[in-house]
Amino acid sequence: MTVAVEFQSVSRHFGPVKAVDSVDLTIAEGAFFAMLGPSGSGKTTCLRLISGFEQPTGGSIRIFGEDVSRTPPHLRNVNTVFQDYALFPHMNVRDNVAYGLMVKGMAKAARHARAEEMLALVKLDRYGDRKPGQLSGGQRQRVALARALVNEPRVLLLDEPLGALDLKLREAMQDELKALQQRLGITFVFVTHDQHEALSMADSLAVFNEGRIAQIGTPAEVYDRPATRFVADFVGSSNVLPPEMTRALGGPAQWASLRPENTRLAETGPVTGTVTALRYLGSGTRVILRAGETEIAALVPAGQPLPEPGATSAFAFAPDALHVMGGA
Amino acid sequence: MPSERASHGLRIAATLGLAFLHLPILLIFLYAFTTEERTYAFPPPGLTTQWFAAAWERPDIWQALSLSLQVAAIATVLAMILGTLVAAAMSRARFFGRDQISLLILLPIALPGVITGIALRSAFGVMDIPFSTWTIILGHATFCIVIVFNNAVARFRRLSGGILEASADLGANAFQTFRHILLPNLGTALLAGGMLAFALSFDEVIVTTFTAGQQATLPIWMLEELIRPRQRPVTNVVAMVVFAATFLPILAAYYLTRNGSETAGAGK
Repeated sequence: MTVAVEFQSVSRHFGPVKAVDSVDLTIAEGAFFAMLGPSGSGKTTCLRLISGFEQPTGGSIRIFGEDVSRTPPHLRNVNTVFQDYALFPHMNVRDNVAYGLMVKGMAKAARHARAEEMLALVKLDRYGDRKPGQLSGGQRQRVALARALVNEPRVLLLDEPLGALDLKLREAMQDELKALQQRLGITFVFVTHDQHEALSMADSLAVFNEGRIAQIGTPAEVYDRPATRFVADFVGSSNVLPPEMTRALGGPAQWASLRPENTRLAETGPVTGTVTALRYLGSGTRVILRAGETEIAALVPAGQPLPEPGATSAFAFAPDALHVMGGA
Repeated sequence: MPSERASHGLRIAATLGLAFLHLPILLIFLYAFTTEERTYAFPPPGLTTQWFAAAWERPDIWQALSLSLQVAAIATVLAMILGTLVAAAMSRARFFGRDQISLLILLPIALPGVITGIALRSAFGVMDIPFSTWTIILGHATFCIVIVFNNAVARFRRLSGGILEASADLGANAFQTFRHILLPNLGTALLAGGMLAFALSFDEVIVTTFTAGQQATLPIWMLEELIRPRQRPVTNVVAMVVFAATFLPILAAYYLTRNGSETAGAGK
């Protein structure tokens, strides 16, 4: 496996604020890698450390083995799709896409031909003469993508690439980005605060919390076996069980997570709770039980009888659905 | 909800106000054509274009005009370079005392010209600098820089910092980013700032009075003519030239930047 991006205890502190704090990270070549976390968790700073717009205050960053910790952005073989697209407003779409080739000194005819190829790749041929202001949000997004890909970067960085698009367009773009990445074989690193986006698109992801990586793994690993309470709560809104509850349910006296979709209402069980809320989800109904200080969500599939709010109910789950978390 | 039609009283007041502001300018034009050269009798006894020929043949006018153009041009170029650089620094960097320095840059335009004039005059005296064209240029540059700075800073604020990063990200070095991204986006703001600066410099009297030695710029020449008139209508002809040289650039600056409220300082 070739390593595309490697962080060795990288920190970026702004005065007392530890935006990124001794992060170790390895991204394999050809991966579709997601950095997931709430705002302020350090994921965007990590992306900017790779692109070179931030410099580490500690540790070293390698891109394909080369230490780039002090390399300015324009000398890195890495390109970015910016969150607000940052298209050049005074240039038409073709010149926007050809910009990276122009500053390298490629002749006009050659770079325009190449720009048209890239525009065709993102299905925007015939839009070359438009100005960015004449395009819709989704089209600007594609131009930004074509512009970043024209330099044939070995790593493509995407900063909340779909954040500004409406839901339907976002889902279409998710599929397209994924297909494009597989076709080009370039390493994609993308930042998002949307756990569904991260889980559905990435083949591995890092969950950020307060400047540190809480967990790295495949979507299935992170979803099924969250390493910390934070991950369990942030990815997929799991039931987070305190040690005494875990023990009452037959596990060790440690924090544990239990996915709502693995939890069913039952006649009898070791723990009972009071139904406090029902949330209809279409494919089923989420029932919230309160047992002492703990809230437990269970999923009742469509068509099955629902309890009344205020009723008492027990719950059940397959033994291996209870995931015990080490540490915090 | 505001009524669509103003009351009659307000309309009359507005008309009178505008007339009071602009009729004197029309009078200047009118008296450039009068046949009567000693007094401004109304109505003019006759109309002639002889004063244009007379003005054309006066070497003192040509001298004053050429000095004014020279001063305005050099002061504007200085202001465009320094004002843009200051604006770039102020909008890109965040440092301790930034707001205070911003205020110091804006101060020359807020200070009465008399203060700027006296301050420069005594400074030139202390440093033993003889009065020359360059002392006038320096005096004018103090407020021209502010005009360019104001225009440039407003445009920098509107430019998203993202496009500068995008340029670097795509492989452009600092010079290429300046040449291909920054300059085209600053262009009209700089042009507008430059034109305003030129116009202000061209009709400046107060600071010039303090920083010029024996030389007279066009406005100074006009003042002197009013005190010791020879061929009085010639002054009116020159006034028309000054009007054109200052009004047209300001008009152009207005049209260049009317999509953003960037002509700050236009009303000095």
